[in-house]
Amino acid sequence: MALRYVLMAATVVLFVVAGAIFVGRFWTIYQVMKKSRSTIRTDQIGKRLISTIEQVFAHKRMLKVRYSGVLHLFIFSGFVVLLIDVVGSIGQIFSPGFSIGPILGMIVDIWVGLVLIGVAMAVYQRAVIKPERYHGSDETDGYIILSMITCIVIGIVVHESFYPYAAGPIFGIKSVALSPMEFLAYGLSRIWLSLGWTGPTAASIGYVVGYTMDILMIWVFLAYLPYSKHLHVFLAVPNIFVRKMSPHGELVVPPVPEEGIAIRSFRDLSWKDVLDLYTCTECGRCQAVCPAHAAGQPLSPKMVILELREALKKELSGEPPIPLAGGVVTQEELWACTTCGACMEACPVFIEHVPKIVGMRAALLEDGEIDKTAQKVLVGWDRQGNSFGQPLKKRPGWTKGLEVPIKDARKEPVDWLWFVGDFASYDPRIQDLTRIVARLLQRADVDFGILYEGESNSGNDALRIGEFGLFEALAQKNLEKLQEAEYNMIFTTDPHSLNALKNEYGKYGFHRPVKHYTEAFLDLIDQGKFQLKPLGIRATYHDPCYLGRWNRIFDAPRELMKRVGVDLVEMPRHGENSFCCGAGGGRIWMEEVGIKERPADQRIREALTLEGVTHFVVACPKDVAMFSAAVASTGNEGRLKVVDMAELLAEAAGLGVPDTLVVAR
Amino acid sequence: MRILVLSKSVPDLVEELALDEDSGELLHDDMTYVPSEWDDHALEEALLLKDEVGAEVTVLAVDTGDVDNMLFTALAKGADHAVKLTGDFDLATSNRKRAQAIANYLRDNPFDLVLSGVQAIDDIDGQIPAMVAGLLEWPHASVVTEVSIQGDQIHFRQEYGGGLQAELAAQTPLVLGIQAARKPPRYASVAKVRQMMKSSTVDEVDASADAVPELEIRRFFKPVAAGHAEMIEGEPDEVADRIITILKERKLVRG
Repeated sequence: MALRYVLMAATVVLFVVAGAIFVGRFWTIYQVMKKSRSTIRTDQIGKRLISTIEQVFAHKRMLKVRYSGVLHLFIFSGFVVLLIDVVGSIGQIFSPGFSIGPILGMIVDIWVGLVLIGVAMAVYQRAVIKPERYHGSDETDGYIILSMITCIVIGIVVHESFYPYAAGPIFGIKSVALSPMEFLAYGLSRIWLSLGWTGPTAASIGYVVGYTMDILMIWVFLAYLPYSKHLHVFLAVPNIFVRKMSPHGELVVPPVPEEGIAIRSFRDLSWKDVLDLYTCTECGRCQAVCPAHAAGQPLSPKMVILELREALKKELSGEPPIPLAGGVVTQEELWACTTCGACMEACPVFIEHVPKIVGMRAALLEDGEIDKTAQKVLVGWDRQGNSFGQPLKKRPGWTKGLEVPIKDARKEPVDWLWFVGDFASYDPRIQDLTRIVARLLQRADVDFGILYEGESNSGNDALRIGEFGLFEALAQKNLEKLQEAEYNMIFTTDPHSLNALKNEYGKYGFHRPVKHYTEAFLDLIDQGKFQLKPLGIRATYHDPCYLGRWNRIFDAPRELMKRVGVDLVEMPRHGENSFCCGAGGGRIWMEEVGIKERPADQRIREALTLEGVTHFVVACPKDVAMFSAAVASTGNEGRLKVVDMAELLAEAAGLGVPDTLVVAR
Repeated sequence: MRILVLSKSVPDLVEELALDEDSGELLHDDMTYVPSEWDDHALEEALLLKDEVGAEVTVLAVDTGDVDNMLFTALAKGADHAVKLTGDFDLATSNRKRAQAIANYLRDNPFDLVLSGVQAIDDIDGQIPAMVAGLLEWPHASVVTEVSIQGDQIHFRQEYGGGLQAELAAQTPLVLGIQAARKPPRYASVAKVRQMMKSSTVDEVDASADAVPELEIRRFFKPVAAGHAEMIEGEPDEVADRIITILKERKLVRG
């Protein structure tokens, strides 16, 4: 009987100690969050709840990596079951005779089995499969946690199996029989019987050992967790709930506009950013999908989070703060990011890597540190409104090759306002395509116009380089013209402009309908504006990051390809899992330092694994440039042809397509 | 150490030069003006010196119109003060007159080191740093790189033909025409420039000067093309034959 009081005392004392450590840790984290920037994450409650349920209970993102997802589901669901066991076991100690009953008992035993399978799979993954994404993660911590979990679930069965024999000596109740439904505990208890370990001493020892492994270990676990990466056990659910919602493509809203977006210290992070740091489980899924990492550059989104967390821990322990941008996270890491968002799409706990990286870029930029080619582009945007260092006057220069002039939307009302973008306007390789788009619109009798010299770069990439002030200046210039013009809809061939117009200009009160040309042309086809002849080619399609991932436009381009008779074969990475061409976030203008294999080259190799695919279809002017170069540099000009969606449509519609662009017949 | 950096704005060559072909006059108001690239290098070199030894950097421009943005940009990059010389100046003001105003300012306001871009694209009547030094009878060096402060001396480099370099030293006060800074000029973010416009001021100093000897510009004109290139068209074989014939005619190949 005395033993019971010892167990009771140990349970209470350890719980209080562990609880205090636990609360203390959370208090520290809360204090950091309180001092950081504000952000509103409690809007759209309904959507948030649904998304949280999907992600937590259905493991939607977790299961994208099947093996890990399944093993995690086993262990995760085991935690729910653990709660039943905690109630049962502690109840037993404090109120002799208490039982959760055979059915719940059976459920506990089933999950003990599942958790053990999950743990075995996890150990196999860490020790044998060794995915690259774990590189840089704290593997020891992983093994410690797995050991603790194993210890706990084995403890559950052990003390339960000794219960029938220990009930008398410890709890003073007459012998209790285990139900065979609690099959694991029941089976073990039969073994103890055959071994003769059923006497008061043996049974008591067995019970105490089991109870210690179970409940007392849970308290140790509770105290250890907040200091390990497994804090996600508690933070994942809230972090998913306060995830970034629509507009998805909006990078970041500066809480105080005058302060800008620069992140220099932890106070410049938003509280969600701080929460992100502690929620990271170091699973490395972000690292596995990062184009910069794949290219051999020094960036891993995971390491950015871990470096920040480590620095925050040091700072909290009283060490002098180190500047985040260029100190904690190196300049090379920060400038390597293409802002493609694959990391954020892959993260099972919805960590937001890109806004942090861009915020730190902004800090570098304020100190005058930036790639010199990119600096020229920034200056060009500021002075001439384009990235080509060309006169503003030449922006509409591409229209000269057209038979029918284009309306000036600054002077007369139009139905569709075409926002052309820098590349489509200035790049000589792409101007042919731009003219095709114009001819297609003319063929379909669309009443459309452009802003001529009134258009400036949208600022989407300036913002992602970290130049928030320049983005604002460019946005204001465009908005002034857009407000003066009369039109019903804006359309653009450029996903980067699309993103700015759709998601970034909203903060200045701009909310007009914006369509990508694939969507707009699909509408025209549906209205019977084109006579289409099937092309009969086998092609694959590359989802541009700013069309797909950031704006969720996946179907329109695919539907359009179907209408023009293209047999679409998907690459392994497509849709939301598309792999960046390497041009985004200003990378297209920066030096390629430390690149082993360009993302665009890797992408072309991916396309070449598809049988019988002769065409690589793109829907972004930058992609035309990036992938044409990649096909050439990998020596695959004979095997794969890069074509733009507009070329396909023009060809199918029987419009003359210049020889330089013509789709192979 | 007090450093003065001279800066001027020049026509942006990205846009076409506005020239009235009839009168032969440049239409200054129709052109966009940007900071002279060499002056950006002079400022960068000064800011590097400031980072190294803690010099006080003042940036100066002659008020030829819209120079405020250029001065605030310099402040955003890290200059400590900005000065605008006001008076009877405009975009067409000659370098000689500008140099006189700067020299007058320097007589009243002592500086140890004056850095300027070695030249600008519109140096019609000579380079400003040399003229300023001449008017003040200060030592001067042109086409300078790698300036450093060594005790009470200024050390710097000059590069000559044939790959020869010299390391030179001079006592202050001194005027240097900077060819290139050690590092590419730093970037000033739009937000920071805007912030400077709110938080700092440009000192205006009256610099009306007496008449100075000047050149008279009779007219500007674009170079007249002396000849035209001949485009050889046709099938590759024909083109090749034609090229061979031309080369033979001009005795550029044997046989």
